[in-house]
Amino acid sequence: MNGEPLLRVRGVHRRFRTGPSVVHALRGVSFDVTAGSMVALVGRSGSGKTTLLNVIGGLDRPDAGSVHVDGTDVTTLDEDGLSRLRREKVSYVFQSFGLIPVLSATENVAAPLRLARMAPAERERRVELLLDLVGLADHAGQRPAELSGGQQQRVAIARALAASPRLLLADEPTGQLDAETGLSVMALLRGIAESEGVTVVVSTHDAVMMALADRVIRIHDGHLDEQAAGQPHAPMPDAE
Amino acid sequence: MLRLVSRRARAQWPLLAALLGVVTIGATLLGTCTLLVTRTAERALEVAMARAAPAAVDVTVYTGTVEGRDTPSVAADTRTAVTSALAPFPATTTARASTVLRALPPELAPGTTVPAQAYLSGLDDLPARTELVTGRWPQHPGDAVLLESTAHLLDLTPGRRVRLGAELAHPPVAAIDVTVVGVVRPLAGRGWERDPLAAAGSATGYRDGRFLQPVNAYGPFLVDLADLVDSGATVDRMEITAHPDLSQANRRDLETVAGNVSAADRRLAGTLGDRVTLARVASDLPLTLRSVDDQRHVTAAVVLAIAVLGGVLTATALVLAGRLTAGIRADETALRSAVGTSRRQLAATATLEAGLVAAVAAALATPASSALHAGLTHLPPLDDAGLTVRPAVVGVQVLAVTGGALVLAAVLTVLAIRPVPAAGDRGTRRELLARSGADLMLVVFAAVGWWQLYAQSTAASPRADAVRVLAPAMLLTGGAALALRVVLPALRGADRLAYRARGLALPLAVSEAARRPQAVAAGLLVGLACASATFGLAFDTTWHRSQSDQAALSVGTDLALTLGTTPLAGDGALVSAATSGAVSPALNRGTTVGQWLGTAGDAPRLVAVDTTRADALLRGRVDGDRGWADAAATLAPRTRVTGLAVPAGAPLVLNGTATGDTPLTVTPRLLMQDATGLRTFCTGPAVPLDGRDVRLPACATADGLRLVAVALPVTAEPVSGPVAVAVTLTVPSAGSAESSADGSDWTATSAPPVPSRVSDPAVTLSTTSTGTVLRMAATVELGGADDAARTLVASAFPDPGPVPVAVSARFADEVGADSGSKLSVTIGITPVPIVVTEVVPTVPSAPGAVAVLADLDMLSRARVVTGDLTFPVDAWWVGDPAGPDAADRATALHLGTVTTREAETARLTGGPLRAGLPGALRLIVPAAALLLLAGVVLHVTCDLQARAVEVARLRGLGMSRRGIRAVLLGQHAGVLLPLLAAGAAAGALATRVVAPLLVRSDTGAAPVPAAQPHWPWPAEAALLAVLLAGCLLAVAAVVTVQVRRADAAHLRVAP
Repeated sequence: MNGEPLLRVRGVHRRFRTGPSVVHALRGVSFDVTAGSMVALVGRSGSGKTTLLNVIGGLDRPDAGSVHVDGTDVTTLDEDGLSRLRREKVSYVFQSFGLIPVLSATENVAAPLRLARMAPAERERRVELLLDLVGLADHAGQRPAELSGGQQQRVAIARALAASPRLLLADEPTGQLDAETGLSVMALLRGIAESEGVTVVVSTHDAVMMALADRVIRIHDGHLDEQAAGQPHAPMPDAE
Repeated sequence: MLRLVSRRARAQWPLLAALLGVVTIGATLLGTCTLLVTRTAERALEVAMARAAPAAVDVTVYTGTVEGRDTPSVAADTRTAVTSALAPFPATTTARASTVLRALPPELAPGTTVPAQAYLSGLDDLPARTELVTGRWPQHPGDAVLLESTAHLLDLTPGRRVRLGAELAHPPVAAIDVTVVGVVRPLAGRGWERDPLAAAGSATGYRDGRFLQPVNAYGPFLVDLADLVDSGATVDRMEITAHPDLSQANRRDLETVAGNVSAADRRLAGTLGDRVTLARVASDLPLTLRSVDDQRHVTAAVVLAIAVLGGVLTATALVLAGRLTAGIRADETALRSAVGTSRRQLAATATLEAGLVAAVAAALATPASSALHAGLTHLPPLDDAGLTVRPAVVGVQVLAVTGGALVLAAVLTVLAIRPVPAAGDRGTRRELLARSGADLMLVVFAAVGWWQLYAQSTAASPRADAVRVLAPAMLLTGGAALALRVVLPALRGADRLAYRARGLALPLAVSEAARRPQAVAAGLLVGLACASATFGLAFDTTWHRSQSDQAALSVGTDLALTLGTTPLAGDGALVSAATSGAVSPALNRGTTVGQWLGTAGDAPRLVAVDTTRADALLRGRVDGDRGWADAAATLAPRTRVTGLAVPAGAPLVLNGTATGDTPLTVTPRLLMQDATGLRTFCTGPAVPLDGRDVRLPACATADGLRLVAVALPVTAEPVSGPVAVAVTLTVPSAGSAESSADGSDWTATSAPPVPSRVSDPAVTLSTTSTGTVLRMAATVELGGADDAARTLVASAFPDPGPVPVAVSARFADEVGADSGSKLSVTIGITPVPIVVTEVVPTVPSAPGAVAVLADLDMLSRARVVTGDLTFPVDAWWVGDPAGPDAADRATALHLGTVTTREAETARLTGGPLRAGLPGALRLIVPAAALLLLAGVVLHVTCDLQARAVEVARLRGLGMSRRGIRAVLLGQHAGVLLPLLAAGAAAGALATRVVAPLLVRSDTGAAPVPAAQPHWPWPAEAALLAVLLAGCLLAVAAVVTVQVRRADAAHLRVAP
């Protein structure tokens, strides 16, 4: 896929101090992701995948380097700017789904729309559409604990898409799912990326996911090792 | 195992510190309450006995008829016996003795054939009991002083020698010569009521059993006691009073002395043998000690109830802390189980850790409770009650603290080895059933406890029983558990409403509050602590109000001056000037209702005051919103008696005529009334009805007196036939400033028992240049016995008929009287007809008694029309006295004993035997608040720590930190607010249903009037505001810290 990069990461460094030692999670990471593409971020556990996603989404700040999302330098935004960025342009899908346990599927999906203070009628239409999109229209009133893992992740994806983000960051979205469910979730992500025009960066160690991605970025000890999409991958030694 | 416990303690020290803190608070509370019911209670007993009125602890030995030769040895032996009974307390003794009557020289009492007799008295501390009017105190053998009245009657002045004749005894005892060296005035409240003539100075027709005929008795001739004892005169009565110094009292010695005093009668009789005809030991000391002990137990029962409540609160806080600890350690426990650690080993580790916590807590709580207790005693009311102590450790306190800490540690152990439900578990059906069952049991126990309290006897029961001790804790716990059940539906309702909002923060906060599985222990702690604090505050107010009500009803007015002697005209003005209040003479004594004397030892009381000023004079709660003005509205006379003004010292002139030749005389009795309503009467000489003017003695001995009635008993030789008599009484003009007569309805009547002996009674009033003339006329039937009553009575009021009275509910119950019932009460020997117009719960100054309240004026009127002009007065009652030193000013009048409502209230609320109760109540309120805050901080901290990842993910949704803070704060506020409200409701309910039942009187009986619940709205609102603000501040602090920590690090490590 060609076009202007929706995401531009340049020379990002991130270190963590753990007692007396310092861990270099990211060492000068740079890459671009064009709008509407789906990128798989792969690497061993502790390689820096989650840190990189957090830095891109503004949940974490790099020690050096810059991250541009849709032309906005994330690293220069203050707290309110970052919150606005996440409400309007970037959304997350977490490995453990990250649904709010006390809210029903409908209410979870509606949460970003409430944050955006969308009118109730429009909000209800949008939630209905999204739940229908992820195939959970019949489970709208159920709470996360009453849904299967796959269903919970579908709700999480619907919620991530609710505010029509430009960039969707998914951190090991199939990590807690069986292979079949994981595949359906990945297919859903892929379909949404194409239908909604959302740029997707997904960290995974799932070979099928890598196969579905337009591009695979391998991260190792904080360094990038990019690989073209569709090429065979060696299985990951362990999962994050 | 020790190493594991030690390492875990280092790693989890904040958690252990929290557990230690809770156990320490509970043990400290227990230790402090223990000190209140032991050390403070013992000290209170000592202080109360040291402060007891002399009459309550004095021991008096009365001996009768001691022959002169035995008097010195009897006096010495009696002093020895009484002081040894009081050992080891030092005692001071005072004595008084009076001799048998001796003949007075006839020239001292001329004009009568009745023998004149006199007696000698010796008093140890004469200057303290009398006021020297003229002359000097006795200094030498044979010196004597006389009471003013005796000196006046016998016309004796200092310097006169008097020979008191030989005794009529075998062998004869020689006459005694005394020299009058001074004249004294008896002081009220100094024991003059025990004088043979009650300090009246004389008595006509006196009978003492030694003479066949009545005599005219005069005296006493007051001499030095040692002089009297050595005089050889036969002592008619001797009393020796020992006053123990109880300033260093302790319980054991007090009990020993009480036993000795109780057995002193027998020992004294053995010692004195035949030297006396009578020996009796009288003392209220054993009774005082018992009543002090009873009050101590009454206070201890409530303090124990508060200790139990504190214990339950602490246990609840500990259950919360224990559950949170177990939850945090759930993974560790699972791991240890997985590697083969048995349940027994897990229990051993938990026991070891809990034991160490208990040991450290006990080590901290022992000095802490000593310091807290000592600090409490330095604050009102304990400080004011003289119960201040320095910090000290006592054995029972150490036992209580250690025991309490161990029990709490056991709770910790049980919680540690109990399986922990997995996070997010909503509870199995079995657990839900168990909780419902527990709640039901709590409610049932609470209901049973309330019923037991409700049905408890109203009779005295000072000892603490299990129901009274446990009931408040059971009720509050049951109430809090029920309230917890109500909170959830309320939150669900709010949840539905909150989703109408457009934003996320409010609905999310309410959903979190309403839908998240509830932490029962935390909710129960918040509810129970709030209920306990509000109950503590309200019970304090309820108790204080009840004591105040009891004090008001017990005194009956604001200031009561109980008279030691008969009041004189003008005394009312003195009392009025001293107190600047509404002053009324008052009658307050036992009576009989018809022929009924009352139940054993509980005679009906008759209370009478000026009911036209009932609102100002009468105190004590009536029913509902009624005041005494309403209750006494039917009692007061419709018109006031004004009568004829009589200038002070003015000579009244009586002139009488009678038809026929029979010489007749009248002995006029005049009834005067002063501005306060006090009526005094004076008796004139026998006046022959021969048409000559006779000046009466100056009856108006003070300014502002008015003549309100005249009684004219007519006496004549025993001849028969009717005689018309006419008597005029001329009252000199009062001057231009005051009208002598002001339209009183003067009425003439014939006094019973045979009114027909005086017929056609008439009275007219006219004004002449010399004054106002009262003309009284009647036809007198002279037949019959010569001492038969033929009394013409003229009064400034008509016959009032039956006196309207209000009777106490108990009176109505026991006599079977109701409104409209016509009865009679006896005052002295005069029956007075009464009609019941009102039934009141109880009568002022006669709480709980079979009592009658009447208007004193009406009672007097009813007696006057029967020819009885005596005006029975026992006290002065003063309403709304001015200034705090009114009591001192009234005491300085030396008219009698002063009791004030304020002083009685202070005694009942701040006396040493009661001060422990408000002290303990003031302990439970901050303790509950502290445990509540500790519980909230613990719960919120653990909750937010467990949800740290969830909080971080909210940021991923685009929620700002501020928004997350608002959600979390809103969530906890949403839970806390209804919990606090429900707790306050439980506290209010407990106040309503149990607080009045916990209040008992001095003796442990139900208080009179019955205690009413009081909910101090401002104080409660302030307390709830403080609790809410404290909770929200604590939550805000924890939330801020947790939200700041909710960063990407949590997402990195999250599963």
